Amino acid sequence: MDFLNSYIVLAEIYVLLALSTNLLVGIVGIFSVSQAAVFGVGAYIVAALLMGDILPFLPAILVAALCCVALNILVTLPSLRVAGDYFVVTSFGIQLLATAVFTNWTEGTGGANGLPGIPPPAILGFEFDSTGQFLLLSSAALAAGCLCFWLIMRAPFGRLLRAIREDEMAVAAAGKNVLRAKVGAAALAGALAGLAGGVYGTFLSFIDPSSFDLDASILMLTMVVVGGARTLTGSILGPFLLLALPQLLTLVEIPSTIAAAMRQLIYGLLLIAFMLFRPQGLAGERL
Amino acid sequence: MIWLQLLAQGLVTGCALGVVAISFSLIYATTRIFHVAHAGVYTMGGYVAWSLIQHGVPDPLALILAIAACTAVGALIQHQLYHRLERRRATQLVILIASLGVLAVIQNIIAAVYTPNILQFASAWGGRTLSLGGVLVSYAQLLIVLVSLATYGGLLFFAHRTLLGKRIRAVASNPFLAEITRLQPQDVYVIVIAIASAVVCLPGVLVPFELGLQPYGGVTVLLTATIAMIAGGVGSITGAFVLAVAIAVLQNLSLLVMPGEWSIGVTFFIFVIFMLFRPRGLFAAG
Amino acid sequence: MTPYLEATGINKRFGGLQALRDCSFTVEQGRITCLVGPNGAGKTTIFNVVTGFFRPDSGSVAFRGRKLDGLRPQAIVQAGVARSFQNLRLFDDLTALDNVLVAVARQFAEEPLGAIFRPLRAAGEQRRATERALETLEHVGLAAQARQTVRNLSYGERKLLTVARLLATGAELLLLDEPASGLSAGALDAIMALLRRLQSEGKTLLVVEHNTRVVQKIADQVLFLHQGHLMARGSPAEIIGDPRLAEIYFGGAI
Repeated sequence: MDFLNSYIVLAEIYVLLALSTNLLVGIVGIFSVSQAAVFGVGAYIVAALLMGDILPFLPAILVAALCCVALNILVTLPSLRVAGDYFVVTSFGIQLLATAVFTNWTEGTGGANGLPGIPPPAILGFEFDSTGQFLLLSSAALAAGCLCFWLIMRAPFGRLLRAIREDEMAVAAAGKNVLRAKVGAAALAGALAGLAGGVYGTFLSFIDPSSFDLDASILMLTMVVVGGARTLTGSILGPFLLLALPQLLTLVEIPSTIAAAMRQLIYGLLLIAFMLFRPQGLAGERL
Repeated sequence: MIWLQLLAQGLVTGCALGVVAISFSLIYATTRIFHVAHAGVYTMGGYVAWSLIQHGVPDPLALILAIAACTAVGALIQHQLYHRLERRRATQLVILIASLGVLAVIQNIIAAVYTPNILQFASAWGGRTLSLGGVLVSYAQLLIVLVSLATYGGLLFFAHRTLLGKRIRAVASNPFLAEITRLQPQDVYVIVIAIASAVVCLPGVLVPFELGLQPYGGVTVLLTATIAMIAGGVGSITGAFVLAVAIAVLQNLSLLVMPGEWSIGVTFFIFVIFMLFRPRGLFAAG
Repeated sequence: MTPYLEATGINKRFGGLQALRDCSFTVEQGRITCLVGPNGAGKTTIFNVVTGFFRPDSGSVAFRGRKLDGLRPQAIVQAGVARSFQNLRLFDDLTALDNVLVAVARQFAEEPLGAIFRPLRAAGEQRRATERALETLEHVGLAAQARQTVRNLSYGERKLLTVARLLATGAELLLLDEPASGLSAGALDAIMALLRRLQSEGKTLLVVEHNTRVVQKIADQVLFLHQGHLMARGSPAEIIGDPRLAEIYFGGAI
């Protein structure tokens, strides 16, 4: 039972990440492989604040989310000024740079060995210790994330983003500030990833750079591609399906040394297959 | 004298990086596709050569066969994947994601088959060093420099003096016009990726010859190479090569003041500077 | 008296091509001015310069005495000058109503914070904006097609939609790039009637047009552009009746 709860908690965390990626890649149309970097920043900040007894859980999440908002804005802003392809370079660069920082800044992040002993979250005295209890927290986070996503998509902001994806120039000709809208989407994406990071770190009580590397970003991208872009359903479906995949793989006998490579290989194949044959994913709209 | 050694090391790495940059630039300038899977082709070249050498194939033949393998894979990606996607009017984003998928597939097949650990080439002659003005250079490093410079010169000649090269440049400068005249851009795209994949196999084999093979290093190399391409000006072969050497030298010299793990920070910093002040690059072609 | 719209000495070069050459003209308020000239004369380029999509190499544009130089396109729209595109550039996957709604000026919740933290106010304001958008669609004659996706609209309906989108911005000076091209006779009459109606409501129109019949029917004044330079200005009868201009327009030397 605990095992099932674990799976659901992680899936819910990844839904937040899928929503974040969906905002950037699906809705605004920016290629991003740096979501894991922002995820990691959120996780490390919350971990540091909780372990150093600096802030309780909810304020720590808020701080982390704000930092991730700032980070995402910083990352997208210069790239949005120049041609689209250069953002690809920036995105890869941010991700690789973040991995370098996570791995080498030992004083801050524990380096390659990671940070063990992250305390469980506590809200108003109630500690979310067991997996079953944590499920309440992660579900609340999930609900909050989905609500935000749903609200902006039905607001004028959502419509503006859809229009930007179709024709930026026409949007500017309609009198709207395209850059500000994109930055707004990137900011929200950052907040979601930061929230996910804080919940993730306190759930596992241990984080290390391997959860926040390029492979993780590729996984998030795969979740959005498979689940489907630009819809809430797609961002929920993708993570639940793809996190069930490793369980299916254990049925096949794969030596543990190459298990990670096999998973990433499957993600790569899924990306190719879906782009070729089903760009709208299972429950989304055409990318 | 350590800085001289670092400078020499930077020049060697830079030359290899320059070839990667030129090969990527060839693809990007012509097809406008950001072919991230190129990092995978770069990586696989070394492993193919390694396997062949393990089975007793002589070094030069192994290199040639590796080049052939890379060429085939590159052409396959363009012809079967990119071409199909473009026929369906896929957006740049879709093609990018597909390319990323190919990269993940190639890297992870390699990691699954050869394990993620570093593999060394068994070479009798590569490690031998000689001293040039107080600086220690290995035979492998010399070979890298020679091959890279020859490749640079060769591609420059090819682009400007041969008929095929001119056809490629024509397609690159105006794909729409190329479509309606008889230049047949799609054929050109396959040829371009084939040539670029063959070319990138050279540093793909020669650099690991000295430093060892590992499945996931290609992304960082490609990233640095694309930064060189952008800073040098897209479409300029010389710009890409010169900036690659400059970046590699700067990265190596920065080792005097900071640990090696942060060298990517140096590269990225250079990129940001260019983006802010000279987004079109130093040697921007038309 | 300050001219309503004034372009002074605009120069714009693209590589080897001088698209605009010391181009100067004025547009009077409340009139329909047509911009004519052979292909490549620079008509769309001047639109791009006036509305901030291109920066001129030299020269300046002023609207109601206020310089538009260096302003981003969206700022120029907010100042009261909006343009349509020759190739429409509608949001094909959105409905006609949504196309207009995107352009409605000064909406609440066009950014994430308002959308998330004040959803009730956002919903209320959306209702109001939707009413205005529906009125705009009604005004151009597209009320029945409001909920249709652009893909399902006819070419004539799409052209009307581009005008609706312009109107939604609230701009008083409308730059229309070939609003009548490619239309059947019925749709042509509808658009011409619409343009006249807009003028009577106080809008100023600057219209690029190739169709001399349309120019004759709607223009109060005509500007003849050739090789990036204003060659002649006058009433429709004067311009169309000038044999020298006709030769340039219909295939004399470029």
